[in-house]
Amino acid sequence: MTETTNEHPDLESVSLDSPQFEVAAKNIKRTEYVTFGSFIISLIGFAAFGAAYTQNSPNYVFGLTIGIGLFFFGFGLVSWGKYLMPQGPFSEPRPLMETTEKEKELLKADFTSRGKVAIKRRSFLIKAMAAAGGVFGIVAAFPLIRSLGPLPKNSLMTTKWRKGSYLTTIYGDRVKPSDMEVGGILTVFPEDDLGSAISQTILLRVQESGKVVTMPGREDWAPDGFVAFSKVCTHAGCPVGLYEHLEQLLVCPCHQSMFNVKDGAMPIFGPAPRPLPQLPIYIDSNGYFRARAGYDEPIGPGFWTRGGTA
Amino acid sequence: MVEAVELRLRALFKPDKIVYLSMLTASVVLMVQFFFSANAGATLRPHSSSHASTQTQAAAAAAVGAKTPQLQEGRTLFDENCSSCHGIDAAGSKLAPSLHGLGAGVVNLWVTSGWMPLANPSAEPARKPALFDLSQTDAISRYVASLSNGGIPILHPNLKGASVTEGFSIFALNCAPCHTITGAGDALSNGLYAPPLHGLTATQVAEAVRSGPNNMPVFATGEISKSQLKDLVAYVTEYIEHPTNPGGFALGGVGPVAEGFIGLFIGVGLCLLVAFWIGDRTEKEDKHHDAHDAKKAGVGAIHD
Amino acid sequence: MIDAIYNWIDNRLALSKSGRHLLNKIFPDHWSFMIGEIALYSFIVLLISGIFLTLYFIPSSATVIYHGAYKPLDGTHVSEAYASTINLTFAVRGGLFMRQLHHWAANIFIGSIVVHMLRVFFTGAFRRPREVNWMIGATLLILAIFNGFLGYSIPDDLVSGTGIRIAFSILESIPFVGTNLAFFLFGGNYPGTDIIPRFFILHVLILPLVILGLLAGHLGMLVKHKHTQFKGRGARNDNVVGSPLWPNYAAKAGGFFFLTTGVTAILAALVQINPIWQYGPYVPYKVSYAVQPDWYMGWLDGALRVMPSWEIHLPGHMIPNVFFPGILLPGVTFTLIYLWPFVESKFITHDYSEHHLLDRPRDNPLRTAIGSAVFAFYFVLFGASATDVLANYLQVSLNVVLWTFRIACIVIPIIVFPVAYKICLELQAAPGAGKRKRHMIIVRDEEGAYHSVDSEEYAGYTASELDPVDIEEVDLQPEIAVLTNSADTGDDGVYRVPR
Repeated sequence: MTETTNEHPDLESVSLDSPQFEVAAKNIKRTEYVTFGSFIISLIGFAAFGAAYTQNSPNYVFGLTIGIGLFFFGFGLVSWGKYLMPQGPFSEPRPLMETTEKEKELLKADFTSRGKVAIKRRSFLIKAMAAAGGVFGIVAAFPLIRSLGPLPKNSLMTTKWRKGSYLTTIYGDRVKPSDMEVGGILTVFPEDDLGSAISQTILLRVQESGKVVTMPGREDWAPDGFVAFSKVCTHAGCPVGLYEHLEQLLVCPCHQSMFNVKDGAMPIFGPAPRPLPQLPIYIDSNGYFRARAGYDEPIGPGFWTRGGTA
Repeated sequence: MVEAVELRLRALFKPDKIVYLSMLTASVVLMVQFFFSANAGATLRPHSSSHASTQTQAAAAAAVGAKTPQLQEGRTLFDENCSSCHGIDAAGSKLAPSLHGLGAGVVNLWVTSGWMPLANPSAEPARKPALFDLSQTDAISRYVASLSNGGIPILHPNLKGASVTEGFSIFALNCAPCHTITGAGDALSNGLYAPPLHGLTATQVAEAVRSGPNNMPVFATGEISKSQLKDLVAYVTEYIEHPTNPGGFALGGVGPVAEGFIGLFIGVGLCLLVAFWIGDRTEKEDKHHDAHDAKKAGVGAIHD
Repeated sequence: MIDAIYNWIDNRLALSKSGRHLLNKIFPDHWSFMIGEIALYSFIVLLISGIFLTLYFIPSSATVIYHGAYKPLDGTHVSEAYASTINLTFAVRGGLFMRQLHHWAANIFIGSIVVHMLRVFFTGAFRRPREVNWMIGATLLILAIFNGFLGYSIPDDLVSGTGIRIAFSILESIPFVGTNLAFFLFGGNYPGTDIIPRFFILHVLILPLVILGLLAGHLGMLVKHKHTQFKGRGARNDNVVGSPLWPNYAAKAGGFFFLTTGVTAILAALVQINPIWQYGPYVPYKVSYAVQPDWYMGWLDGALRVMPSWEIHLPGHMIPNVFFPGILLPGVTFTLIYLWPFVESKFITHDYSEHHLLDRPRDNPLRTAIGSAVFAFYFVLFGASATDVLANYLQVSLNVVLWTFRIACIVIPIIVFPVAYKICLELQAAPGAGKRKRHMIIVRDEEGAYHSVDSEEYAGYTASELDPVDIEEVDLQPEIAVLTNSADTGDDGVYRVPR
């Protein structure tokens, strides 16, 4: 039994009349009043909440009444616990986690000695059990995972845009050049895929007239000052709905990638790695916009099987 | 008394908490600045909306009977305030573009919003109180419109029977990508901004949609029909101007950024302040402690 | 009567034995041990308010026509999930309050987990034997963040729907398995109709169960290991000094539950959160500007923003841009967190022994400097998720703000590291810094007698309560002294624990 300095008494070995069991409050009466008062405020708060509930009061009345009730209930409890309860400090011993070598060996001995009896000359049982268990593990995963959804197959590579698809507003109206003025912006879909997350396309009128050549090889893709791009951002897939018509920039509202419309929607700022795919369009003999073909690359953000070319 | 207060403060500002507390204080100050600056900005906006729209209509009605004097007044005002940049007869100059072909609506929008006239020729258009009253603005707009054909007239959308439901849908598709869904406005590329949509008149909203000021797209009748425009204007003037906020302070309508700020610095912060109080030993406990040491002075830690 | 009931139970469970142990559990008195409790209590608030919400929320993507109190939505085609959330808000008495309470509690829950984790990290509380509990805590943080995201997503409003779209893009960016994973989770190509019900069942059943189980393990280990404590008088590696569970901490911790709940309720009363009626239903081709995730996902959103526009093209395959900030970054982050206790003992401290006495951050400058730098990095990313809002508020070009964050997320940690390291060293060298003075000190007069003097009156006093007190090396014998009930209270009033 060594005497250590600065020692605190163990809770179980202290008599109730020791200074550790004195309360911490300097002014006990005042503390009692404060504690009592906060329980009373709490009571009023809870009662007011009840009354407010019957009256179907606005949100702030509900919240404030019950919030004040809860807060002062807690306040009362804590001030009771902090000032009107044994001030301590006490100590308790802490057994360290380390076990002795002897304890370790005993466990080991129990495990191996009894285990040996169980598996002696029966290793074929272990193998068979492992095989059956392994197969169970594998097949159990099938319904749990494979049933969740179809395989992607080709669905990420294409949209519903086909050769001759009409450019259609969300209301189902076919779009013609006179619908828009320079600086105009319209979200369009193929007629058979209105409101689609995948096929959504943005039609811009960037100039009064004439072909818009956004890239060499796209000479016939954008007639009469109109140009159409996929509305799905190539970064994380948000709809690129923000158009600055003087700057001729499409901006993605999610992560602020900026696409230069006149340059084939090439990303000039932000995290987007690839230009927005352009939809080749023409004006048919009845004056409606139609797609010359579908998109020539998968729209939207990248994915592993998309292929290595940009 | 003073000492007592000082002791209290000392207990609160124990050194290991000072860093945290000062962070908290700084954050609260920043936050207060953040959310209340939106209100401070209100002084930059045009005059109150309802007041303005009725006056515009009255002025428009009055204008019919006094066409020539009004145009005369408009010309005078234009020559005095606008022609130095936009040129005589609004034909444009090196400093500013021609106003031909824009119509009265565009002029009305730019003048009522305080964008024009600029503080100086090289300044960027910014919202400020309009320089001219509504009849003067009307006169200028009609004068400029009389110089050429085309453009959009001053619009006075009749909101009777307009559908805010349809308006909400159109707003989400066409306006929210730049102005945000609550109309709070946000930053565009390279120092451009989509302005907040608060404090606008029905006339201004309609004219902006049709004319596409600055970088705003132009929405023609093929994109937003006349009746849809009414719906949209009704939604903006009713629900963007006066949003339904049953849940309490709306935090400027900027969503999770502001909410996270409050949640972390007020929510977690208050809980931590409570934890400071609960977790620490009281003064008396400490005193007892020291007294305890004193008793054991023979073996305890001594300072001498 | 009560005695009879107690005896009945006691005779079957032997409560008196374990119960006494529990009542006597000592909690060290320091505020920093209360932070984890904030998380625990907000979790209880989440469970209670969440149960209320599940009674009204319909997890379905089926289209219905909303008819109700909020006029701009009246007659709109929306998903059942959205319609039921709007109804919950406007038509159920107390519904809006419960929604706001739930959402604020979630923000406070994850916030306090992070603060708790920082406390544990900077004080070295994760060291042996608590490495596993540290890892459980890290897992709880991941699950809490993930569950927060799910809860934010299921009302199917315009803002959260955009977040789901980004989540799909991040999932499909994973090499080899990404597209399949995304299709399995969403039941097909985006958007599909399965995601809301699946998110819902994950949010209200599966993840809460896992969290509850891990929480039980977390607290069980806490009881087994007992609390850590700061160096101070009497505090040793093989004891705990403080106040007992009964009655002190029953009252204090119980009261703290109500205080936390009260703070959350008052926030829910006064500050509106996630006004989905203003956002409108999610429609895949609509989008709002200033869309952000809740703050705890902010560092990921910020990382998506500051990431340069790179992606890797391989023959026939690609590693998309979002893979790096969306999958690789959190993967590396949490791997580092998991491995830190082992990294530290192997490469920094070379110390594999049991620790129950805490470091102060200055005691291990390298750990503190590394932790501060890494935290600074994530804090910058967190700020970067608000580039647009900041640019708008400060009236600075958006491009400038983004570039500032791109540079800052590299430069700030590089600055923070040496500064934190230097501050630790300086604090170590200044013995009085950051410590509170004792109120009374003991002085010795010329005759050799001891007096207790107010420290204020004693010039030149520098020592303080938090000074480590020299204690005899305790022999770490496997059999710790068994305590008897006899206290030796000597004439000098010194209590001695027999051992």
